[in-house]
Amino acid sequence: MRRSTALRHAATTTVLVGLAATGCGTGAADSPGDTGQTSQAAQPDAIDTAATVDVRLVLEPTSLDIAGTAGAALDQILLDNIYQGLLTRDEDNKVRPSLATSFKESPDGLTYTFRLAKNAAFHDGTKVTAADAVWSLRQVTAAGSTNPDAAALASVKSVTAADDHTVVVTLAHRDTGFTWRLTGRAGIVFKRGTDFSSLAGKENGTGPFKLGGWKRGSSITFVRNDAYWGKKAKVAKVVFHYIKDDNAANNAQRTGQTDIETGANATLLQPFTDNPDHTVLRGDTTDKFTLALNNAEGPTKDVRVRRAVRRAVDKAGLIKILGGAGRPVGGPIPPSDPGYEDLTSIDAYDPAGAKKLLRQAGYGDGLKLTVQIPTIYPAEIGDYLASQLKQVGIQLTVRPVEFQTWLDAVYTKHDYQLSVVDHAEARDLNNFANPDYYFGYDNADVRTWYAAARTAEGDGARDALLKKAARQVSEDAAADWLFVSQTLTVVRDGVTGVPRNFTSNRYRLADLAVAKK
Amino acid sequence: MTLFLLRRAALLVVSLLAASVLVFLALRLLPGDVAQTIGGIKATPAQVAAVRHDLGLDRPLAAQYGDWIGGVVTGDFGRSVLDGTSVSGQLAEKFAVTGPLAAGAVVLALAFAVPLGVLAAVRRDSRLGSAVNTVGQLGIALPTLWTGLLLVVVFAVQVPWLPAQGFPVDGWAEPGQALRSLVLPWLTLALAEGAVLLRFVRSAVLDVLHQDWLRTARAKGRTRTSALLRHGLRNAAVPVVSVLGLQIAALVAGAVVVEQVFVLPGVGQMLITDVGNRDLDKVQGEILLLTAAVLVVGFLVDLAHRLIDPRLRSTL
Repeated sequence: MRRSTALRHAATTTVLVGLAATGCGTGAADSPGDTGQTSQAAQPDAIDTAATVDVRLVLEPTSLDIAGTAGAALDQILLDNIYQGLLTRDEDNKVRPSLATSFKESPDGLTYTFRLAKNAAFHDGTKVTAADAVWSLRQVTAAGSTNPDAAALASVKSVTAADDHTVVVTLAHRDTGFTWRLTGRAGIVFKRGTDFSSLAGKENGTGPFKLGGWKRGSSITFVRNDAYWGKKAKVAKVVFHYIKDDNAANNAQRTGQTDIETGANATLLQPFTDNPDHTVLRGDTTDKFTLALNNAEGPTKDVRVRRAVRRAVDKAGLIKILGGAGRPVGGPIPPSDPGYEDLTSIDAYDPAGAKKLLRQAGYGDGLKLTVQIPTIYPAEIGDYLASQLKQVGIQLTVRPVEFQTWLDAVYTKHDYQLSVVDHAEARDLNNFANPDYYFGYDNADVRTWYAAARTAEGDGARDALLKKAARQVSEDAAADWLFVSQTLTVVRDGVTGVPRNFTSNRYRLADLAVAKK
Repeated sequence: MTLFLLRRAALLVVSLLAASVLVFLALRLLPGDVAQTIGGIKATPAQVAAVRHDLGLDRPLAAQYGDWIGGVVTGDFGRSVLDGTSVSGQLAEKFAVTGPLAAGAVVLALAFAVPLGVLAAVRRDSRLGSAVNTVGQLGIALPTLWTGLLLVVVFAVQVPWLPAQGFPVDGWAEPGQALRSLVLPWLTLALAEGAVLLRFVRSAVLDVLHQDWLRTARAKGRTRTSALLRHGLRNAAVPVVSVLGLQIAALVAGAVVVEQVFVLPGVGQMLITDVGNRDLDKVQGEILLLTAAVLVVGFLVDLAHRLIDPRLRSTL
């Protein structure tokens, strides 16, 4: 569904006029996206354990088969809530124990020993044992595995059970990202022998919630697992409402149909700021809105053209017209990932420099380019890029495409010049170390450094190598990074324990609580 | 009449078969496939190819069509490749929202279009008549999306009488809530549909007002109103019923927009999602059933014509 640009511009104007500086907002008060606080109220003394919480989410999963179907929408609701892995990550993106209460890494970094929680059980009542974990991990690593996340465990050589509650994983080589990647869906522990083709209809997880029901195209309901092995959930029921349109979501929150609105549009926040009935939370994401420049073919094969494009686009201006909920990044690593450094000074905004580079590349008389942008992103991005590039003599045709068309033409066939996509995943620098990826970027040094970072001894050595690789990627103008987005969540007064960071990757409900009225 | 029914039934089957081929081929022209949806952007090309093979998407088109239509003939509209749900089951669930939505909108549209249309025709030269006519014009000009948003702002946000969006999680198990959720969508659709109908009713009535037989009826002593009610409306109904048939078909398109604005889990919304996911087996089943529904409406319109106008009964 396309959003009406005119409507949203109108809304932006209204918001800008009516806005006052609020709360713990950081930065300029004239940017509505700068509102929002990074801390929330403490859990009240008296909580209503029979409460139902209604949550607005944007993207509905295509199926509930987490072992076979890709999509962040599945991770978002199922991880930690229904299914659990050996490990998980917290609000700061750090690795934490989950089904494995502790783990040890051997000095050579090749053997990991996990101790499983003794009382953990599946929703059908069976106890979780090491055999289940071994079976699950072997499914992912098996030859011919169609698990979309199979690459996450590529370094695993073998998985065995030392006893009923001890799992030993042996790696083929050191892997600095192994435990972190185990926190994703590749690390989920299923009951041994689970028929994955049946997961779409029913689940048998180990988490604090069970699947209540799914009204396709509308909502998914979770109910508390009263037999949960750990600390039980504080609310009885959570209903996820899938509302794509931001205006409709706003109305739902304003009229009390939802208690939590995730992914709130920064330009539509006015009804909630300075309003005692609602709090706006601002959180981090690893969503890198990336302007991909075909490195392998066409005019953008020339590094001078790529650098000219980067210099022609003022990122601060783009962030502002989108409502302010983003930060410039200048390189492929977002602030919350290892190896981050501020690279915004590389190819900073410089239209005159861009023109000069284009002249050198032989495009002094102008250049025509086409950008393909999936229709799920704000239409303003394309308009903005076209107007910015026009000022340096590049005539940009914006072609909005359906996401599936993007997947086919750009991602699979590499048939594009420019493209805008939100690369939402954390720690995905490997895309620039893979010449077959749709960026078509190939630098032998970067590949070497990235490989060395993966097998480095210790996080310090790893981070230094990642930093080096990221800087090189940015200096080669392998792509342009428009911004790392921030996420805004509107919360009804009385609801606490609401996830704030990385909310589109996982939405942990364990701390959610509602005050007793 | 029997011959008429037989001919119409044969036409229905042929049309459906033609539609099935068209739908099947048209959907294959879309770039991308469901294997890519399943594999996502983390799976390797080899993994996606493996999924495609598992699903039989690499088989010849004729074989895929044969399998599908073979199932349809035996009443099996297939299953979603993505989540395994049955097409007919899903359609039934979604139709529980779209059906009442469309039916209510038609009733509401008729309820104000017919009296107002007649009024606008009979009083065409008065201020009232032209006012009604202007309102009708306006109704046609307003985009459904805009009316919908306006109604939400007024009746859900400013005056919190009705829900702004959504349908109860338990559906019709909460009839009161379900009805409340449909009020604003009904109004939105009925305004758009009703305005078009109003214009047609007005011109159809104007048409019969100038017919000789109406003059004859009045010459025999009937008042204008009584002549119109007794003879005129029945004649005016013939073109209006045709338009109503077309409007009901168009309602499907209108429902897509309204379901998006009000986040109603109906047929339109399901189609958009399924096309987006390239869940083609499901999409083609859904479109075929919708096509059948539209063709049946056409059939009913023909039947209605014959009941209203005896002169048509002698033709085939």
